[in-house]
Amino acid sequence: MSIIKEQVYNWLKSNALELMKLQNMSLVVFENRNIFQDELMRLTKYLSENKLVPEDKVWIISAIIGEIGNNSFDHNLGNWPRERGVVFGYNIEDDYLDIVIADNGLGVLKTLQQVKPELNNDKDALKIAFTKILSGRAPEARGNGLKFVKENVINNDMNLVFVSGDSRVVLNGGLKIDNIENDYQGCLAILRIKK
Amino acid sequence: MKIEMIKFGEFLISRPAGREAWLAMTAYILPKIKKDETIEVDFAGVKVLTPSWADEVVTKLKNKFDKVVLLNTDNSSVKASLKTIEEMPTQKH
Repeated sequence: MSIIKEQVYNWLKSNALELMKLQNMSLVVFENRNIFQDELMRLTKYLSENKLVPEDKVWIISAIIGEIGNNSFDHNLGNWPRERGVVFGYNIEDDYLDIVIADNGLGVLKTLQQVKPELNNDKDALKIAFTKILSGRAPEARGNGLKFVKENVINNDMNLVFVSGDSRVVLNGGLKIDNIENDYQGCLAILRIKK
Repeated sequence: MKIEMIKFGEFLISRPAGREAWLAMTAYILPKIKKDETIEVDFAGVKVLTPSWADEVVTKLKNKFDKVVLLNTDNSSVKASLKTIEEMPTQKH
């Protein structure tokens, strides 16, 4: 098994399995952006054609996962500290669709430290990433992706857990940021949608 | 002049893809348009749009031309992404 997949499975096992019924989820590593996007399109079409989720929500889910997944490639391109790529998988069970996407990259803190060196903890870095327009890829004008994710997860009654380092963001009607016991190196997101 | 976004695909997701679309537009479409001409940007048929893709194309069109009109923006991801880039501080790319 790849290192990144093992890392994701280990984290899920110790943190989220009981909550989210992710036992049946098959996770696959997508080494580059193109194959990740092909898989995202395949999932989007599957959800839409089988009417598993209302169509309006399908397009938003795809945009949310697209933003999170592309962030992994945008911010680690040419600079992956460990394994390249993202792990991506989903599970449809009972009333819920769960989607997991994770990388083994720099993480939010190290990325934002490149433009805001005074940042010194994961919690503050996550707060900035989800609430302020600031990108680690200066001088490019960007940095709106996770604000889009936050707004649309909340507006569409979805639930998102986003972990980086020793902190996590929980979007569930509002935004909560706290520290966690088990660190995650890189970024890991679990999106839950009620069907 | 109307620019049909569906000609770039149903899934307009990544920033590099948006940048590539902008370069193609710059080479083949935009030279035919006068600066004060109205540009209709038509999203009919687009299924998924992200703010990253939209920022590379729509923001740049708005910076370059005086009159940009957005058409067929009812798709939920199109609506949400356009709202996000509208709310960004004005940036010149």
